[in-house]
Order: sequence, then C-alpha cells, then structure tokens
Amino acid sequence: MQTSVTPDAISAVLSNPSFDSSSDRPDIVVQVVDLKPIGNRYTFSANDGKTKVKAMFTASLTPEIISGNIQNLGLIRLLDFTVNDISSKSTKYFLVNKCEAVAPALDSEIDLESKSEEEGGEFKRQKLEHSPVNDVKTDVSTGITLKPKQEFVAKSASQIISEQRGNAAPAARMAMTRRVHPLVSLNPYQGSWTIKVRVTNKGPMRNYRNARGEGCVFNVELTDEEGTQIQATMFNDAARKFYDRFQLGKVYFISRGSLKLANKQFKTVQNDYEMTLNENSEVEEASNEEMFVPETKFNFVPIEELGLYVNQKELIDLIGVVQSVSPTISIRRRTDNEMIPKRDITLADESKKTVVVSLWNDLATGIGQELLDMADKSPVIAIKSLKVGDFQGVSLSTISRSNVVINPESPEAKKLKSWYDSEGKETSMSSIGSGMSPSAKNGAWSMYTDRVLLSHITSNPSLGEEKPAFFSTRGYISFIKPDQTMWYQACKTCNKKVTEAIDAGYWCEGCQKKDEECSLRYIMVVKVSDSTGEAWFSSFNDEAEKIIGCSADELNKLRSEGGEVNEFQTKLKEATWSSHIFRISVTQNEYNGEKRQRVTVKGVAPVDFAAETRLLLQDISKKSK
Amino acid sequence: MDTSSPSAFVNGALLRRYIGQKVRTVVQVIGSDMGSVVGKSTDDLQIFVKGSPPASTTTYLEVIGIAESENSIRAETWTNFGISFDALNYNELCKLANGEFKHLFI
Repeated sequence: MQTSVTPDAISAVLSNPSFDSSSDRPDIVVQVVDLKPIGNRYTFSANDGKTKVKAMFTASLTPEIISGNIQNLGLIRLLDFTVNDISSKSTKYFLVNKCEAVAPALDSEIDLESKSEEEGGEFKRQKLEHSPVNDVKTDVSTGITLKPKQEFVAKSASQIISEQRGNAAPAARMAMTRRVHPLVSLNPYQGSWTIKVRVTNKGPMRNYRNARGEGCVFNVELTDEEGTQIQATMFNDAARKFYDRFQLGKVYFISRGSLKLANKQFKTVQNDYEMTLNENSEVEEASNEEMFVPETKFNFVPIEELGLYVNQKELIDLIGVVQSVSPTISIRRRTDNEMIPKRDITLADESKKTVVVSLWNDLATGIGQELLDMADKSPVIAIKSLKVGDFQGVSLSTISRSNVVINPESPEAKKLKSWYDSEGKETSMSSIGSGMSPSAKNGAWSMYTDRVLLSHITSNPSLGEEKPAFFSTRGYISFIKPDQTMWYQACKTCNKKVTEAIDAGYWCEGCQKKDEECSLRYIMVVKVSDSTGEAWFSSFNDEAEKIIGCSADELNKLRSEGGEVNEFQTKLKEATWSSHIFRISVTQNEYNGEKRQRVTVKGVAPVDFAAETRLLLQDISKKSK
Repeated sequence: MDTSSPSAFVNGALLRRYIGQKVRTVVQVIGSDMGSVVGKSTDDLQIFVKGSPPASTTTYLEVIGIAESENSIRAETWTNFGISFDALNYNELCKLANGEFKHLFI
C-alpha cells in the first residue's frame, strides 16, 4: 500500500496550465484533508505535503465517501480531474471526476515542508501531534476557546463502526445507518441527518401560557466537535420525553429534528438556525464514544472591557478569581412578586479590575454555596452567558441558561491562577463600575471623560437615534414650571402607578392588590442652563428629590397649605439657580409624528469644585496644545 | 473695584518675581508663633509669613501682603482656608496667572 503522496504534484499541475485534461498527466497521489459535504457533494483540500488546493468530488463519487472508501486524511490517486478557476478569486480548484483510494486515514496531515528542511528533502510521512493550525489556535492572545478547536474530521459510518470495534451499543445503530453530519452543514432543506453533539447547556423546564393554551418548554445548547453550536428547543410531549434524557456534558446522537431560521432576538449561540425536536426525534446517548467533543465553549471578555457591553443584548462569558461571596438574599421580582434567591460574588482578573456578578435562583443556592465554602481559597471560575447591566456602573447577572464552572481545566484558568498567586493577590484592585458612572448615593463622580456642554446635545438633533447616548454635564437649574404635573400616585411596594379605587384606597395593577395609601413620586421636567445653552431634562423620583430637596409628598403638602408666603413656591425658587452635575441619557422619542430629543436625568450629584477645577485645567492645557 | 493695589497670585517659586510688591498666596501651616507663621507653599517650598497671625490657624491659610524676599511675606490680611484645600489646583492657577493668561489678571 502506498503511504505517501506524489511530491510537488500540485504545484506541477498548477504551473503547467496547458494540461486542461488529466489524460496527459501522470497519476498523482494526494491526501484528502478538510473533507466536508456541500449539498450532495463533498469538498476537500488536496494536499501533496507542500501545497494545498481546494478540490471537489463530483456527485458520482459521493457513495465512495459515504461508504468510507474515501476518507478524510486518507490518500487518493487522482485518475481524472480538471483544474478550474474560482470565478471570484484568482485561485484554482480541482474537480475530481475519478479517483481511487490508496490508503485509509493517516494520523495527521502530511507536511513535508518542515521535515524536508530538517532532513534534506527526504520525504517522510509526518506524525505531527498537532497540525500547524492547531498550534495557532492555542495562542493565548486569542483566548477564545477553552480548548483548541479541533480540526474537523469527517468520519464515515464505517469509520465509526471500526472505531467502536463492533461494540453493539445502542448508539452505534444510528451511526451505522447514517453519516454523522457536522452541525455547520445542517439546513432546513436537508432531509435526514444525524448529528453527534455534546450538551453544553441545558435550560430549566419552563411553563408558559398563551392564546393557544398552556404548555412547557425547555432548550439545550448543543456543540459538535468542530465547536459549532446550535440551540434545540422541545415543547410539551417532546420536552417531557427528553428533559431527563439530556444531561449536561454528555454526548448524544440526534436525528429527525427540524431546523428553522433562528430568532435573532433570542439568539444565544452563533448559528443562523435553531433546532426543534419533537417527540419523534431520536436522541441517543453516545455512551461508548471516546471521540472528543468540546466542552462548553467560552468567549471570555476581560473585566476592563465590560463597559462596551453594558445594557446590550449580547451575552458575555467571564473568567475571574473569586474575591468574595455574599450570603444569599431574597429579592422580590417586580413582574410577579415571586421571591428569588440571589447571591453576589466579586471576581477579579488580570486587568486588576473587579466586578460583581449576581447569581440568581439555583445558581445562588447551589454553586453559590459551594463558592462561599471555598471562597478563602480564591478559586477561578468561568461563567458562560452573563447579562451586563449598569447597576453600580457595571454589574453582571446570571440568566436561566448561565453556566458556572469552578476551577476549569483551561489555559486561561491556569494563567489567571498563576497570575493571582504570584502577584494578583497582593495587587490593589478597583471596581470596574466605579470608573464608569456616578455612584449616585454618595455623589462621587469619577468619570469626567464624557463631559459635554449643553450645546453639544442641542446642536445634535440626531443624538440618541440608534441607541441612548450617555453624558455627564454641569449646569444650573434655571426654571421649574410650577404648574406642571410633577408627580404621580405610586404603589408603596412596587412604585408603579396606582389608580384610585372606586370605594376607597388605591389599586396597583403590578401587585394586583389594593392599598389604603399611596405615595407620590416625582416625574417632572426642569430647565437646565449652562454657558452654551439650555435644555429640558426629564427627571424621575430619586433625581428630582435631590434637585428639589424634599420628597414629592412633602412638596405636595407645602403646595396644599397655600398661604401668603407660599412655601411651595419658595422651595422651587431655592432649587432654581443651583448647579449640579447631571448624568443624562439622550434618546429620540416620537411625539405627534415628530421626532424629538428626550434628555433624561439618570443621576444628580453636587458639584465638587476641586474636581471641576481639575477638569477645567485639563481643558485649558488641551486647548493650548 | 479697587485696582490701585493689585495682589498677584503666587506660589513659592513665583514669589521672587514680586519682591517689594503685593502678593497673595495660600500656604499649609507647618508652625506658628507670636509674630510669624512657617508655611509650605503649594509647590512644596518653605515660606515665612511675618506679621500678626490670627490666634488660631487652620491647615490652610491665605495671606496677602508684601513680598520681602524670595521666601518671606509681610502679611496684612490673614484668612483661614480650612482643612480641605486643593493645593494642586491653586498651584496651577498661580502658574497660569503668571504665564499664559497673565493678561487676564491685574
């Protein structure tokens, strides 16, 4: 059996374009790499050890591949092929009409280049532990996957059978009858397929109720050996049937599911499609499989870069050293008043920043407790799928499908641990949030970088068109219209608007209950001026309280008192012509068919004159440069 | 406004430019006795302030008076500036008021 390729065969063919048919050429032997199905055909790269060229088998050869005669990493002799141009590019590809298999799959890609340099052109089959591609992928700076992405190895059914050595596991049945498809090749128009995937995330069973009745649903995230992910959803009977079958981390053969375009709004994995499994779908555990399928794939964001993701839909993955773990507390969810356990943990990473991650529900009570018990050992944890919010500047929250791994076996985790042990634990860290936004409570403002003058806002009518734009600005309250609607009647529990009940008291739609009393909460507009212009700012309760200097209830009392010296008017007068630092958001609102800028106060702080002076000095030195 | 007797903003290093003239500066009090105060200027130089200081001084003290030498002032006006004062900002102000923006100051 021939065990090597024809040296320099590809470059010889490519450099001699007069050979338009292979009849004039000697037979050449190449290695098949990157074998992939495209529709009913297969593409691959022909490798002669030095040069690789894209190639495609004609459809008539498809049975050869399915039967396992032609294998990925195997050698084939090209008997009849043509050299074609890829129209859009200047590269060429081979269209293989006829070939014969010379050798089954080798251990790795043949690479004569590096070896021939060392051994003076002696051609030897390489048995590289890693392909060059692999080595690049493990480069730390990319830091994307927990494990290096494996070269995809297309396996024919017969290969799988031979791997399993006739072990008659139930899982083998499907593999025997059907080829295992890579996830990337699935599409809605494809007939039957079998995929082999690891469950890298499993959501809880959820009950829903809609116009068509009620039911239950859960979903899993599946990852194949190429690292491609897809979300699969099961409803009702299928959900009940498969909920216990799917276990996190295990490998399954799955077939007879249907694909549809993924809903971008709820998309959580990188795939254009999502999968629905019904009760006729087949899910069998691949219990005897040794084949590598990646663990949960992470895409870590360093803590110092979290600011970019604040309030975005995109979920992020994080790795960090546990600094502290709080006890659990119960939080009442606004939408349904349900009590939910929550636990805050603080993580740090090499950017010397810390961030608070809120673990919710089972993660708070389960893995959260585990973390509390081992917090003094500073474990490294990796968390998949976190939402980034702006509470305290930047804060992270788990969602139902978040996944926490303690002390993961990964290069990132090792690097982080050794950094922490060697220098990290001695280093003073700062919270990422402190530099991002006002901590409205103590009035300290540390972020002056997005300071603008009012003219910047009023002269840019398109500001906030795509997404809210945030700024800080310093200005004077120049006018508070005394006859505006300054407040609303709010529920004392949830702060939502209440309506006066027919008999007495107030009805809260949010809490679904009646209360004897309500409280007033501000919702007012104030005019703010600086040296460049003026603008109306909308302000809600907490911020308005700081501007006015008393609560809405108190102000209402003053107004109702009336009298000769109207305390209400005095209060508003006192609030006018005082200066504040405002944190504002600028958005676009449609009002009577007309787009309007809306400036909302997100925070108010007193002016720190020393800090303001420093800012002015900075501006002066910038201008004089 | 009385502009007949302007007082220039100075720090320790700028004092020498105004010997015999009226200046104002803020110092951090290091020590004081009956007839003088030893202070640290905002640029970390030692300044002797002569005259009759107030009975009690706070950490920071503004003095207005005639510069007698490159490190002493005979003060006419003494004002306590409290315990929290941004010396760095004041120092920058002195530099700007005697440099690039001198024309804005009397």
